[in-house]
Amino acid sequence: MSELLLSAETGRKEGTRPSRRLRREGKVPAVVYGLESDPVAVSVEWMQLRQALTTDAGLNALITLNINGEEHLSVIKDLQRHPVRRDVIHIDFLRVRADQEIEVEVPITLVGEALEVTRADGMVDQTIYNLTILVKPTDVPDGIEVDVSDLELGGSIKVSDLALPAGVATTLDPEEVVASALITRSTLEAIAAAEASEALEDEELGEGEPAAGDADADGGDGDSDD
Amino acid sequence: MLMPKKVKHRKHHRGRTKGMSKGRTEVTYGDYGIQALEPGWITARQIEAARIAMTRHIKRGGKVWINVFPDKPVTNKPAETRMGSGKGNPEMWVAVVRPGRVLFELSYSDEVIAREAIDRAIQKLPIKARFVSREEGF
Repeated sequence: MSELLLSAETGRKEGTRPSRRLRREGKVPAVVYGLESDPVAVSVEWMQLRQALTTDAGLNALITLNINGEEHLSVIKDLQRHPVRRDVIHIDFLRVRADQEIEVEVPITLVGEALEVTRADGMVDQTIYNLTILVKPTDVPDGIEVDVSDLELGGSIKVSDLALPAGVATTLDPEEVVASALITRSTLEAIAAAEASEALEDEELGEGEPAAGDADADGGDGDSDD
Repeated sequence: MLMPKKVKHRKHHRGRTKGMSKGRTEVTYGDYGIQALEPGWITARQIEAARIAMTRHIKRGGKVWINVFPDKPVTNKPAETRMGSGKGNPEMWVAVVRPGRVLFELSYSDEVIAREAIDRAIQKLPIKARFVSREEGF
């Protein structure tokens, strides 16, 4: 996990219109809270924020906020985006202590290809995309990778099967399924429909050999017309 | 087609569709999705047409989620009827959609085919919509 420095300005006015004015100036309204201190309304520069959050650590980056000369170690607790434009409209920073465990969400990434599943027209259905973990702020992993290449149809990977790094514990139920290999209902319907049409074609070919001859004759007529 | 099993009132007012979608603006279940970019009514037939377009294109090995439900009845008066004599008969069911709403989600291994399937489904919808994928990181 990387440590990043971000300066935040205090004394912003709260409310919709002042917040919109801030956003027009290229700033993002934010709030800093945690560690039994009072919440502080601040604003951060959008370009600095973007640089801080586009590292490998992503949204779990450990950020040192500089508020009026005081440094606060913090992580991002919540990030609000505009539903269509997707730009960041507000951020919650949570003050943390380097030696105190915090609860964060890290992404689960499936790696490898489940060949047995794809051969059987199945799919790997990922049910949990983020894992909630308890970890010290300095030890937050960038993500957790799960190898699905050995997965078979009907099989599943549970939370207990995940290889968590040292010092990391999850709050989720160990029996909860992370990913499972299955054949969807629509795939079964598609297979059944394909089999039915093949059977129909076979029947038509079997019954209609003389009819096929007629068709050729018709085709011949058509050619002669041309 | 999707429609409610039972309703409290057979006929609704049309209402106004203002603002942005309050929730369901991100891809939650699948890998890709269709996001509405303007407000509108989506009928049960259009939802079904979009679903069929998507499932037929991906053929096998994918999963589709429908995130909207047509729970609003729309009435029509019969053709060549004089005005008055009360509200018309319920004819169809629509889902009220605001900008930002993720209408469908799709899980499929190949992004190119998923994108094509979603483009086909968007053609069946009466509003502007776009392809979105699951956001990870910033």
